[in-house]
Amino acid sequence: MSERLGAIARSRVARAVWWAAVVVVALALPLYLESFWLQTALFAMAAVIGAIGLTLLVGIAGQLSLGHAFFVAIGAYGYAYLSGAEARGAEGASGLGLPPLVALVAAVLLAGLAGALFSPIAGRLRGIYLGLASLGLVFLGQHILFNATSLTGGFNGRDVEPFSLLGFTFANNDPDELEILGVDYGALERLWYLGLALMAFAWWYAHNLVAGRPGRAMAAMRDSEVAGAVMGVDVTRYKAAAFTLSSMYAGLGGVLMALAFGRIVPDSFGLLLSIDFLVMIVIGGIGSVGGAVVGAVFVTALPLVLNRYSDSLPLLAEPGSGGIAAPEFSRIVYGLAIILVLLFAREGIGGLGRRLLAPLSRDRRLPSAEPPRTTPPSDVKESVT
Amino acid sequence: MNQFLTLLLNGLSLGCIYALIAIGFVVVFKATRVLNFAHGSILLLGAYVVGRTHESLGFWLAALCGIAAAAIAAALVELVIMRRVRGADLGTLAILTLGVDILMLTELSRRIGTDVLTTGAPWGSDVVEVAGLRIPESRVIAAGVAVVLVAGFAAAFKFSDWGIAMRSAAEDGETASLMGIRLSRVALTAWALAGALAAIAGLFLASFPSPGIDAQVGLVALAAIPAWVLGGFDSIPGAIVGGLIIGVVASMSAGYQNDLLFLGRGLGDVAPYAVMLLVLLVRPSGLFGSREVTRV
Amino acid sequence: MNEHHRPVPGREGRWTRWSIVVLALTLVLALAACGKADDDEGSGGEGGVKTGPGVTADTIRIGILTDLSGPFAAGIRPQVRTMRLYWEEQNKAGGVCERKVQVDVQDHGYDPQRAVSLYRSMEPDIAALMQLQGSPIIAALLPTVERDSMFSGGMGWASVVLPTRVSNMPGASYSVATANAVDFLVEEKGLSRGDAIGHLYFEGDYGEDALSGAEFAAERHGLKIVKQQVTPADTDMSSQAAAFRRAGVDALLVSTAPGQLASLVGVANSIGLDVPIVTNMPGWNPSLLRTTAADALREDVYSVNPVAPYASDEPGARKAVELYESRYPKALKDWAVPLGYAQALLMHRSLEAACERGDLSREGIVEAMRTLRDVDTEGLFPGTVSFDEVGEPPTRSVYLTQVDPDVPGGLKVLKTMESESAKAYEFKEN
Repeated sequence: MSERLGAIARSRVARAVWWAAVVVVALALPLYLESFWLQTALFAMAAVIGAIGLTLLVGIAGQLSLGHAFFVAIGAYGYAYLSGAEARGAEGASGLGLPPLVALVAAVLLAGLAGALFSPIAGRLRGIYLGLASLGLVFLGQHILFNATSLTGGFNGRDVEPFSLLGFTFANNDPDELEILGVDYGALERLWYLGLALMAFAWWYAHNLVAGRPGRAMAAMRDSEVAGAVMGVDVTRYKAAAFTLSSMYAGLGGVLMALAFGRIVPDSFGLLLSIDFLVMIVIGGIGSVGGAVVGAVFVTALPLVLNRYSDSLPLLAEPGSGGIAAPEFSRIVYGLAIILVLLFAREGIGGLGRRLLAPLSRDRRLPSAEPPRTTPPSDVKESVT
Repeated sequence: MNQFLTLLLNGLSLGCIYALIAIGFVVVFKATRVLNFAHGSILLLGAYVVGRTHESLGFWLAALCGIAAAAIAAALVELVIMRRVRGADLGTLAILTLGVDILMLTELSRRIGTDVLTTGAPWGSDVVEVAGLRIPESRVIAAGVAVVLVAGFAAAFKFSDWGIAMRSAAEDGETASLMGIRLSRVALTAWALAGALAAIAGLFLASFPSPGIDAQVGLVALAAIPAWVLGGFDSIPGAIVGGLIIGVVASMSAGYQNDLLFLGRGLGDVAPYAVMLLVLLVRPSGLFGSREVTRV
Repeated sequence: MNEHHRPVPGREGRWTRWSIVVLALTLVLALAACGKADDDEGSGGEGGVKTGPGVTADTIRIGILTDLSGPFAAGIRPQVRTMRLYWEEQNKAGGVCERKVQVDVQDHGYDPQRAVSLYRSMEPDIAALMQLQGSPIIAALLPTVERDSMFSGGMGWASVVLPTRVSNMPGASYSVATANAVDFLVEEKGLSRGDAIGHLYFEGDYGEDALSGAEFAAERHGLKIVKQQVTPADTDMSSQAAAFRRAGVDALLVSTAPGQLASLVGVANSIGLDVPIVTNMPGWNPSLLRTTAADALREDVYSVNPVAPYASDEPGARKAVELYESRYPKALKDWAVPLGYAQALLMHRSLEAACERGDLSREGIVEAMRTLRDVDTEGLFPGTVSFDEVGEPPTRSVYLTQVDPDVPGGLKVLKTMESESAKAYEFKEN
């Protein structure tokens, strides 16, 4: 008996050590990574937050959405506008000049509001209809971004005000020279911590959601709407909630994206971005929060990293020579990955990872999340209680 | 008045091209229940083959090659990929076609690069005058071709063995196969046909007044999705009507955009999607589509 | 069964193994990426020449961050090729300051995310940017390159970059060029007080700068400008052409990319709008002569060029063409070739000047560039160019050319212009 307790105690300690190590490494990385890696990591963190939102929507709530880019744009442009200074020179884009933290929260809420407004539509439409409606939303959204010049700066975009909190700015100034352990802490290093905090929060919240009652309710809804309703799940309410939540995640990802770029243009928020997010969650395994993280990092970092090392990689041609350069190669990898995952390994990387680590953690994943169904399965899935 | 009629005629002829693409969507959906995101890149493939071969083979042979290439590519997608996941839900199938689309589009964009290919069509940039209105000859021919194809197609659908097979497979696949209809063959022909139609549409899309075949042409096929939705997912007459309506909407909003500047520039590109959203809100099954039935 | 002594591959065993793996990885990472605490100063300064990042004892590394796969790639690829060839040739002749010049080319595909990321990865290893292309990218990186004291050439011709100290504009700005165009229309195309000129222009720094020059010159002559703004995504100019015709314009100015020019010219022709058309240089690409707009392009279409076109007789242009054709005899002949040569030449002169002043650091190269005055480029630029006044373009002259399908590159030089409006145009401090 005491041996069992001892074993449990050791595993608890081991787990604590594990997490402590992860945290220490995460906090210390800016001391070692050069700016390229920090920049890539920031893009990846923004993508992670957005991807988690989409996997919740598609995998847990069972709603196919191609409109994620729209909500990301609301977050990004919302933050830029709310925190932006008055129009500069010929820029033409105005701003409200709110404190960055207020702007951040407001932008996320704005995205959530947009999601909530769209959710009645999402509620009425199922599966493929929703997918198409969200497609329309992306195009409509981009149209607005291109044309509302005083808000968005139009085709050439607008600058993004750096984030600051309690007098500390996450840019290269204010404080102008910040040295920690001999390393000059500029904008990228400082943003790293902000990104880390936001990402950790996003992940933690989603993790708990999935394991709790809302997660189970949403899964029931995903597997069979009618069956779920019969079991007492308020389908309309959960659909609306899922959409709103997923939009807030997208919005938060958008804010981080805006901060990571420093300047946002409407071209970045089109169908291609929505597709990228879908690729992320498919590769990671639809419905898997951990998988969304892996998928997001992979999709964001691959082209940038390949590009960096394209000289040493024999497959890749020189940019502009007409051969397969890093961006094309990456897209080919994505296309292949989607096909292979959906054909042979439906659960994606998240599923594989789970099987590897299953004995370690209490299983916080619900059984077999598959891409959204529009026709109910012919046999009843594992009951969810 | 002149401008209105010109825009209307242009819109109708553009709509015929959209109709061809939308029919492709319908046929694939009826036969295999797939929302085919790869349709755009198949269209681009057909146009690309024409663009690259017309100088050595002459236009007509090149056009034939392009149509064949698109049809074969579409059939291959069905044979090699989609067949393996028969019975999966719509979302999985749709995302799968998205993967195919990414692959094909990347490779085609790379090959086209920054060139703008011409189709080498014999009607070039000629303009036809009809009752005082000037319409590009290519559009008139497109409309004519579309009418012929649709008529022939409708006849085949109604009377030929294949057409009956398709219709019964779409109605009730299990019963159809019990009655001896080879579902796999129906699916294959449906995909190949959709590819051929897409290639023909692509040819006309790339003719005057468009500058030619560049990487953007594949995106135009996306503009036919509103036509498809408007007509109802599984209705061919719906696809035709939807195509015509969307064509007119696009043409009118582009033509009058200077008077509608408060709605933003580039109105012609976004108006079809606005219409689509409206349709989905008000009547998701479209003008002619069948309503979805829920079974527990 | 001796359960107590059998090694348990259970929970805590797995945990321990994973912890070790993580710690090991961390160690490896730390060792591999270590050394960031050291500040990287340029290594290799002998003989008294001060150096900075990107400069060693026998090499100077310069960067090109441009669009090689996006919407403007067609006009940029020949530039990059020519720039590479230029330095190959110069390196064979000994290089600059006893150092060989290496060129690092990166493609951002007109994606600001990629551009920002690529700049970050390039920046520590280069001494200057020979070309930084793309309006939104320039807008995103301008503060950064200024802060890094990074010489930034080839940033297009939009006046918005003029106040930046590090910018090196290859010729007259769009505003000045378009002012020249308006004067040309008045002097030689019979436009007079009260006439209207239609201006089709891109939203953003390019088009709006050109419009500014056009409006300035038009006001001086009592002309009216009819504006039509478009974006690179707009490919069909039918409604714009119709609007121009309704307004009864007597000439057209175009400040867009080749696609829009071709569409406008073709549609104008088909609706019977027969007026002289003058485009800014980026609107012209010789491949347009192979499209359906070819016939319409033969008549009365001109281009104002800050750099000599491919068919120019000037010795500088000839050198560029010979160099290019020696390696790429069958490639498209375009103004991008002399432009690339010109940019490389300006970079060369700046490096030489920096060498003479004994300072090859980034700051030194920028300062050297700002001492260049009345540089003779053998006709690559009309007249001479000077960079000693921040906020002013290097010259106010342009080459006035006409579209001619029978010359290589499709543009035939008519004359050099430095018109009154161009001379009088005032740049605003941003």
